[in-house]
Amino acid sequence: MNELDKIPVRQELSVAEGNVKRSNPLANVFDELVRFCQSRSMFMLHYCTGCGAIELPPAMTSRFDMERLGIQPMVTPRQADILLITGYVSVKTLKRIILTYEQMPSPKYVIGICSCTVNGGMYWQSYATAKVLKEYLPVDIYIAGCMPRPEAVISGLRDLMGDIKSGRADNWKRYFQNYDHYLGNQQKLFGEDWQTPTDIIAEAEHYGLMTDQTLGEHTALLQKHQQPLEALEFSLGEKREKIQGENPREKNNE
Amino acid sequence: MRPENYEAIKQPPSNEFELNFGPNHPGIEGNYAFRVKLNGDEVLSARADAGYLHRGFEKLMEGRLWIQNIALVPRICVPDPVPMEVCYSLAIEELCGLEIPERAMWLRVMQLEMSRLAAHLFAFGGHAATTGMYTPMFWGVADRDLILDRFEELTGGRVYSIYNIPGGVRRDMPDGFLDRLGTLLDYLDSRLPDYDSLFFRNQVFIKRARDVGAMTQEQALKWGVTGPNLRATGLAFDVRRDDPYLVYDKIDFDIVTEPGGDALSRNLVRRAELKQSIRILRQIIKHLPSVKGAVRCPIPNPLAWNVPAGETYTRVESSKGELAYYVVSNGGDKPYRVHVRGPSSMHAVQVLEKLAVGSRLEDVAQIMFSLDACPPEVDR
Repeated sequence: MNELDKIPVRQELSVAEGNVKRSNPLANVFDELVRFCQSRSMFMLHYCTGCGAIELPPAMTSRFDMERLGIQPMVTPRQADILLITGYVSVKTLKRIILTYEQMPSPKYVIGICSCTVNGGMYWQSYATAKVLKEYLPVDIYIAGCMPRPEAVISGLRDLMGDIKSGRADNWKRYFQNYDHYLGNQQKLFGEDWQTPTDIIAEAEHYGLMTDQTLGEHTALLQKHQQPLEALEFSLGEKREKIQGENPREKNNE
Repeated sequence: MRPENYEAIKQPPSNEFELNFGPNHPGIEGNYAFRVKLNGDEVLSARADAGYLHRGFEKLMEGRLWIQNIALVPRICVPDPVPMEVCYSLAIEELCGLEIPERAMWLRVMQLEMSRLAAHLFAFGGHAATTGMYTPMFWGVADRDLILDRFEELTGGRVYSIYNIPGGVRRDMPDGFLDRLGTLLDYLDSRLPDYDSLFFRNQVFIKRARDVGAMTQEQALKWGVTGPNLRATGLAFDVRRDDPYLVYDKIDFDIVTEPGGDALSRNLVRRAELKQSIRILRQIIKHLPSVKGAVRCPIPNPLAWNVPAGETYTRVESSKGELAYYVVSNGGDKPYRVHVRGPSSMHAVQVLEKLAVGSRLEDVAQIMFSLDACPPEVDR
């Protein structure tokens, strides 16, 4: 038998853990190459969730020029790597943020900009905002300040680039590994029938990231309330009103 | 052959459909959404979906001291924060009967006009981006940043300055500030012809924006439109001239109007206001050194400040339109009620819903940017 045949052709490069013994000696080299490329081509989702977004146009355009670091805005979550949470998140926005985050392909990174994402900031007593972002999503980098200057934003993004390159930025795995915890916090805020059209548990199985904390009482609640996905109906007039009255998922989206 | 009990299900016409436009959409300004009903790419009806940025400002302000709210108010409108501080401070001064020193008034007007310049540069840059022209956006943002540098020098903050407090301004300006501001104004003045040839007189823009989102003067008055959007329908109304506050009655400037009422006219009004703001700032640079004295009048201990009972309504002209505060005090150390009359809540909800009908889908973003609506101010 040829020595080369023993080497597996396909390696799951992106989900390999550091302590796993690799049969292919080149796999670690590939891993590093992939991580280097990932850190140098980050697509940032174009979603202005709060007031910190006003410092992003200067950071993106000619004066501070984020694009020289390979960071570019991207319009759809399906093609984005970074989710920037720029400032306070109201409860209504947080639902959209979670849905957006779950739609993004892994590996994905969350950056919390402004003090409001850290502890509620100025709006610590507001009835309408979610205070601590990391209870709902795994956050990779926080950039504090109200609001952080473009230099601070770029410095934070550079920190993230370093983390990706060295393989430390793996917080996206924690969402799959501790899904029950995150879902529990989401259910506490949105009500126990909260659900998104994405299937995180199936994805966790696909990535091989199932742990003891992935499933639990909250995911059991989710499966109890979850309804089969219906085809989106762009219906008008009377029919639409009828559906709105019946469909509990419509209520969630408000 | 159909069965006897066959009944055709009535379906809506298949050429009509609904689209969610925003909140995660590059054509929308800030965190805001629309539900548009379309026939092809013609908009049949539009429904605004606001509330993504709601923080409950008016409730928050009832729970904080009068002076603490100064840090809160500029967050209501992010691109143009100074009028928020000034208007709130004016309300408290009116309730307390404070006479602020003249130098503070001039410093406030200087900031207001700098803020207007920055906001207009940002607004037309955004509008250019929605019509596919990214160069004016890059130029506008870069030139706005130079104004933010001057703000940082004067107040310590790039965007949120928190420089105006009840009784005046926090501190006097640094040495040589007016010279540097004059240099900046010369630079901005020299850029205006470039903007004209790149954007405002560009046939690409004119053909895209003419007759898009047009409204008549009667409609504008009925819908509560104010500011540059109202002046674009031909009515010369400006709070700075018609209900002068601070020292605007000592300053010489023109109220610019355009007859069209469409997206093009609204942008041309903003373009002319850039020129007027530069003119006002030049007069301030000339006049300010001759105004001597303190920049703030003595106020009681701000942590135990009981503002006399009463109610007041103050208004200023922000870059978006008429901004007003209705403040009620019951004699306590906190406001009893603060109501913010933000111009964008009219522009972004009721006006935009009506103007979008009959336009094409690609123009909805353009109409929103031409109205210069500011979503955080809509939701508050």
